[in-house]
Amino acid sequence: MLAALMVFSAVLAGCSGGSEKADEGSKGKQELKVWLMGDETDETLIKQYEEKNPGVKVNVQSIPWGSAHDKLLTAVASKSGPDVVQMGTTWIPEFAQAGALLDLTPYLDQYPNLKPENYFDGAVQTMSYDDKIVGIPWYVETRVLFYRTDILAEVGYPEGPKTWDDMKDAGQKLAARGNGNYAITIDAKDMNYLSMFAWQNGSAMIDENRKPHFNEPEYMGAMEYLKSFYDTGMTPLASDLDLFAAFKDGQFPMFISGPWMIQGVKDKAPEIEGKWATTTLPAKETNTSFLGGANMSVFSSTKNADEAVKFISFMSEQDSQLTNYDVSKNLPAIKSAWEDKRFEDPIFATFGKQLEHAQPVPFIKEWDAISQEAIGAFERIAVGGADIKTEMDQLNAKATEILSK
Amino acid sequence: MQNFTKRFNRYKYPYMFIAPALLLLLTFSIIPIIIALVISFTNIDLAGLANYSNIEAVGFDNFMNVFKDPVFLKSLYNTMFYVIIGVPLVVMLAMGAALLLNYGTGWLFKTFRVVYYMPSITNIVAVAVVWGYLYNSHYGLFNHMLSWFGIPAQQWLNDPTLAKLSLILLAVWKSIGLNMIIFLAALQGIPRSYYEAAEIDGASKWKKLIYITVPLLSFATFFVTITTLIGWIQFFEEPLVMTKGGPLNSTMSMALFIYNNGFQLSNFGYAAAGSFVLFFIIIVVTILQFAVKRKDVEY
Repeated sequence: MLAALMVFSAVLAGCSGGSEKADEGSKGKQELKVWLMGDETDETLIKQYEEKNPGVKVNVQSIPWGSAHDKLLTAVASKSGPDVVQMGTTWIPEFAQAGALLDLTPYLDQYPNLKPENYFDGAVQTMSYDDKIVGIPWYVETRVLFYRTDILAEVGYPEGPKTWDDMKDAGQKLAARGNGNYAITIDAKDMNYLSMFAWQNGSAMIDENRKPHFNEPEYMGAMEYLKSFYDTGMTPLASDLDLFAAFKDGQFPMFISGPWMIQGVKDKAPEIEGKWATTTLPAKETNTSFLGGANMSVFSSTKNADEAVKFISFMSEQDSQLTNYDVSKNLPAIKSAWEDKRFEDPIFATFGKQLEHAQPVPFIKEWDAISQEAIGAFERIAVGGADIKTEMDQLNAKATEILSK
Repeated sequence: MQNFTKRFNRYKYPYMFIAPALLLLLTFSIIPIIIALVISFTNIDLAGLANYSNIEAVGFDNFMNVFKDPVFLKSLYNTMFYVIIGVPLVVMLAMGAALLLNYGTGWLFKTFRVVYYMPSITNIVAVAVVWGYLYNSHYGLFNHMLSWFGIPAQQWLNDPTLAKLSLILLAVWKSIGLNMIIFLAALQGIPRSYYEAAEIDGASKWKKLIYITVPLLSFATFFVTITTLIGWIQFFEEPLVMTKGGPLNSTMSMALFIYNNGFQLSNFGYAAAGSFVLFFIIIVVTILQFAVKRKDVEY
């Protein structure tokens, strides 16, 4: 018992010791707790902010994306969250509906940086929930087509495919090379990927009245188009090829992905420098891409709302956004930042062009659950060979059920 | 009342001795289990967590729905598949490894104890990275080895049936070590005199193994079987890190289903109902085991 007590008190001492230390650092200063997502956080901007606001100590905690959702749940449950939190845009409806995010509307006049007109249209859609502004875009990302200019030139598309038909034609010629060579990867586990094709074919998936439209020709056509990639050998049914190596070797001369891949290709496949490019997505009705990224929100349990908003406003300045791009390669969310010369490189400029035609996934809290179902349905169609119409009817019924809860 | 105080005073010290353990058990196991039971009859989600007034009681709906959920039924089947193949394999291989290692005491045997134990103490995420490469269908060692014999490359983690077996192989490899240690300890506890007596009677090595060693290991076997069985019914880490339950939910285990519903989709009530089904299965299986266990062997 004594031993147990000693262990206990040691543990307790350990805990209290930790918090005392944190307090000491901020003695006489206002402390701002900030949660940023990602494995490591560059603190350049934080330091700049502290220099400009000597009365404030910013306490940053980086949380890996993988565990961030769990951590946010715990924060909501225990009602002891941070002051400012970086939110993945797809999580906002869920947490906003739970009342975890503070309404920032009253602060807009005081901090013009936060006004929606500064941001890309797609990003603006992620700012408000229930007519309240709950998140300020911090950075954006969108998906574009990465392609090997040399290999695509051989099949007659040196500029990359411009339409769905071009894509199909180029893809079949590329697949005809045989020898384990394919045309393009499909990330069928990622609903954002499937959504892009649905939008391009004119499907909204879920309309403003929360009605799903999965078993309609637009969505089914998109799934059918993607399935044909597997059927014609453009994409392997199952592949664990390393994408960078396969891009370099030409096994996958095309893939659709986000800005984080640029540095990866440069680092891991330096041999093909100058032989690859990015372009906006091939179009059907539109060439809509997915718009993702992260917003900055204020947790409603905060006691320093004013300070928190001020911090977000600082992070939304053009200079801060450009600094963030420099240190972590996150694309700026404010439109004006894109006029900077940093984005003259055509590989990056493509993203700016694509951002004009990019939208977020339906902004409802049930989206995660529905996308799980949609991914499952596509997997059964593509891998399991199930009938598209039956699967889509089921998916629509399931989505209706989830939405009516 | 006075009687109670008197009795309490008399047993004061024993109670104090068990108090820390009891307190820990209460706060970290029993109370959460009771809360989970209550939650399983409600529709609590994130909004409910933030504001308790959003929680509604839904009776047995969660339990009814979970049995109508095709993914849950599939996970039930998969879990059974894991247990039926995995548990006997672990028990037999762990016992086999322990018996072999018990034949000698040289440095080689000691080294191999460490070698077999190593997987148990390696972080699952590190293991997953390495095994992910082994199973890779293009660059993987396993497919490379198959190619020496002209066997075509296999989709270790992408074929619905093979993926289950691949995960079992990984989990068996990982759990042999710990169980082997238990068997080794039990082996050292068997008195030499039984073997000497058998040798005088002219028993062969095989006979000694079958009639002395294995029966006298019965308690260790029972313990290993129960703990392994419970562990495998809660099969979770391997599918989470290797396949996320795919392809086509063919590696989805019950525990992973519960995790996905609870922590990915925030359907806490539904997940709690699922976990009570799992809880119930474990209790039933364990009681069954105690029932069929033969009496301890006494010589």
